[in-house]
Amino acid sequence: MFALQLALSGLAQGAIYALVALSMCVVYRATTVVNFGHGDLVMAGAFVVYVLVVLAGLPFLASAVLAVALLFLLGVLIEIGLIERIKAGPHIGFALMCIGFGYVLRGIARGVWGREVLPMPTVFDFPPVIAGDLVVTADALIIFAAVGVLLALFFVLFYRSSAGRVMQAVCQSERGAALVGINVRAFHGVMWGAGAALGAVGGVLIAPLTLLHPGLGASFLIKGFAAMTLGGFGSLGGAVAGGLLLGLAEQWVGGYVSTKLIDVTAYLVIILVLALRPNGLFGRAVAERV
Amino acid sequence: MRFYILPLAALAIPLVANPYTQFMVNLMLVYVLVAVGFNLVLGNLGQLAFANTALFGIGAYSAAMLMAHAGWPFWLVIVPAGLAGAAAGFLASVTALRGIRVYYLAIVTLAFGELLRWSYIHGERATGGTDGLAVPNSHFFGIALDSETARFYVFLLIVTVLVKAVSNLLQSKIGRAIVAIRDNELATASLAIPTGRYIVLAFTLSGFVVGIAGSLFAVLIGRVIPESFGLIELILHFAMVLVGGLGSLLGSVLGAVALTALPEFFRRFPGLYEMFFGGLLIVFLLVQPRGLSALAARWWQPLRDRYYREH
Amino acid sequence: MLELQHVGVRFAGLQALSDVSLTARGGAVHALIGPNGAGKTTLFNAISGYVALSAGTIALDGAPIHGLTPHQIAAKGLRRTFQNGGLFAELTALENVLAGLHARIDASFAGILFGSRAARAAEREALARARELLRAMGVAHLADQPVKTLSGGQQRTIEIVRAVAADPPLLLLDEPAVGLAPPVRAQLVDLIRRLAGERGIAVLLIEHAVDLVMAVADVVAVFNGGVKIAEGAPAVIRRDPAVLEAYLGHV
Repeated sequence: MFALQLALSGLAQGAIYALVALSMCVVYRATTVVNFGHGDLVMAGAFVVYVLVVLAGLPFLASAVLAVALLFLLGVLIEIGLIERIKAGPHIGFALMCIGFGYVLRGIARGVWGREVLPMPTVFDFPPVIAGDLVVTADALIIFAAVGVLLALFFVLFYRSSAGRVMQAVCQSERGAALVGINVRAFHGVMWGAGAALGAVGGVLIAPLTLLHPGLGASFLIKGFAAMTLGGFGSLGGAVAGGLLLGLAEQWVGGYVSTKLIDVTAYLVIILVLALRPNGLFGRAVAERV
Repeated sequence: MRFYILPLAALAIPLVANPYTQFMVNLMLVYVLVAVGFNLVLGNLGQLAFANTALFGIGAYSAAMLMAHAGWPFWLVIVPAGLAGAAAGFLASVTALRGIRVYYLAIVTLAFGELLRWSYIHGERATGGTDGLAVPNSHFFGIALDSETARFYVFLLIVTVLVKAVSNLLQSKIGRAIVAIRDNELATASLAIPTGRYIVLAFTLSGFVVGIAGSLFAVLIGRVIPESFGLIELILHFAMVLVGGLGSLLGSVLGAVALTALPEFFRRFPGLYEMFFGGLLIVFLLVQPRGLSALAARWWQPLRDRYYREH
Repeated sequence: MLELQHVGVRFAGLQALSDVSLTARGGAVHALIGPNGAGKTTLFNAISGYVALSAGTIALDGAPIHGLTPHQIAAKGLRRTFQNGGLFAELTALENVLAGLHARIDASFAGILFGSRAARAAEREALARARELLRAMGVAHLADQPVKTLSGGQQRTIEIVRAVAADPPLLLLDEPAVGLAPPVRAQLVDLIRRLAGERGIAVLLIEHAVDLVMAVADVVAVFNGGVKIAEGAPAVIRRDPAVLEAYLGHV
């Protein structure tokens, strides 16, 4: 039962990681840019919710929706204002730009939050569900529900709708997509917004659960990378699977080996996967044209 | 020979500087080495690696542990610190060579750096945990390192020697090959240039230089703590190389000198440090991506030749 | 002398090259022509080590080179140019040529690091030689310009200068005439003939411009669908019915 209880916490945690990883993967697949500031966007989502709930007194749901909308906007602005401007430069430029705005976000959060670590007031105030020996907290339930619905929506959208077909087209060939009349620049802007918004949902969900601090962004970035690496870099389904597996791994390592190792699990996953099986679980090898 | 003008002129600094300013200058020397080492991999080789703070930290901790636990004098720990950094750099290069995707190196070095920092925190007596290790007073071949002035002369010597060596390398066929690998690795191989060997060389040398910088840092600050080698520090390294000029040795020096003193200003206002350095990266990427060295080269012709040749 | 025997290359289900045999001799220009996708560049990639063989052997002066890495094959004397431009964009024309001379510069690692007299002398010598090469090719005035600022034709010329800088016995040119104006093309023909005739280099040439091929080649090999369908003197190939049907006839 202990293992199962751990698994439950692991999956709940992993669901958040899955969201973070998926949102990063969406941006990467749509624009080939790996957003090194993504963790800070997720943190920004949590931060906005905190500010709205605690400082502005708004109800949680309204704050959550507002936060996601604001982050969508931020994502679009970052893409058209910053990323688009340095398209002509080397790929290193993108990474540095992402690191740059990530730190700016972190700085703003630290400026408002100061040196403290802040708790949010309890949001989900109903009792946990007991199933035999298992305790399923309200938080976990909400996370499962929210993430589950979101993921289902996402994949349905991506693979079945016409908007999704547009996404697939641009992901596969930008030139081709442009030739058939798809506005690739607008697409990039929207996808960055979508990625930021998806990430913000993760931030919003985690806000009531952890002690918030500006450094959360770095933590999310690593977990996102670990999940993507484990699942196969670039694979959307892989990002989700990787996130869930990472959550599980962390809880099991923490439960059976040492709680000190929970923080390090993500790093070890990255190093081990890249050393032993670089393509991850569901990744595909990429060939290079000479 | 033009190279030695700056170091020779610098000899006069202790005559006019008070201890605080001298400390700042010493810190600048450390960061010149940090930037020179980082630029080799980031600018010249063009590889996105997040290992620099890890290399810095390994050098600092190696030096500190040897001095605090084994009682070694400073002059004896310099090379081991460099070798520790070189070993870590070597590991990073192995990853770079295996790299199937561009970002793998970045992610692995990021993970590796944080893993190291975790091990410093949980290293108990060996590393002093979160409180870190105090670095005992030491000497450099008899010269006591207890004043900022003494440290300055020793640092100046070490930094000048190392930077000259890197400069020699960059202006040679090897330096050219490294930049060629950045621009077109496949074509480089077609010219009978051993690309793998040079990638390893760049990373290892970078690690050596930054590791030694770490040993200098340990002596200068007097204490090594895990917090000094995290992601907050990393953005300072990135900023120095970008602001100075990617791929330019002169740029590394300019970036280090320009930015070293700034973190002190921001310490009092939480968040300002991150906002400033993040903003600095953004502004330079948009406005002057080639950095201050390119700006300098535009004003003064002799600098342009040096800039191009080191590119 | 380059010798290919029954070379085959397969990319995950696609047979890019099948049973290709070919011999290229020093002092002769061997042209490869054929429609896009016929496998010509793949053949170059196979010879220079960028692509693995699934069948057959490739030997340079009797010694097998298939299975070696690109840099090892280059060390044995092979040089090539690339279809999509293989220049080092940020470096100047002079520095690109110097990169071509890399293998010839006799400076040890320690010598370089400590700035030894020998290392510096070797570098100066290479510099002089590189300037001379550019001058001989008529592009000395471009020496200090970053190659990304040069025109397409100038870039191709520099790439060829870089490739021949170290006197390679075997040279692979991948579509060197693309985008060149007629007078520059004439210079290119002249250059290729000199490389083969005066320097005794074995030149393999991929080209689409039929007139250029006819003017410069000693032997023409025609490819289609990964297979060599004909080979011979230009005049003979011109009249070959299989070739006309597959390729020339459509021009």
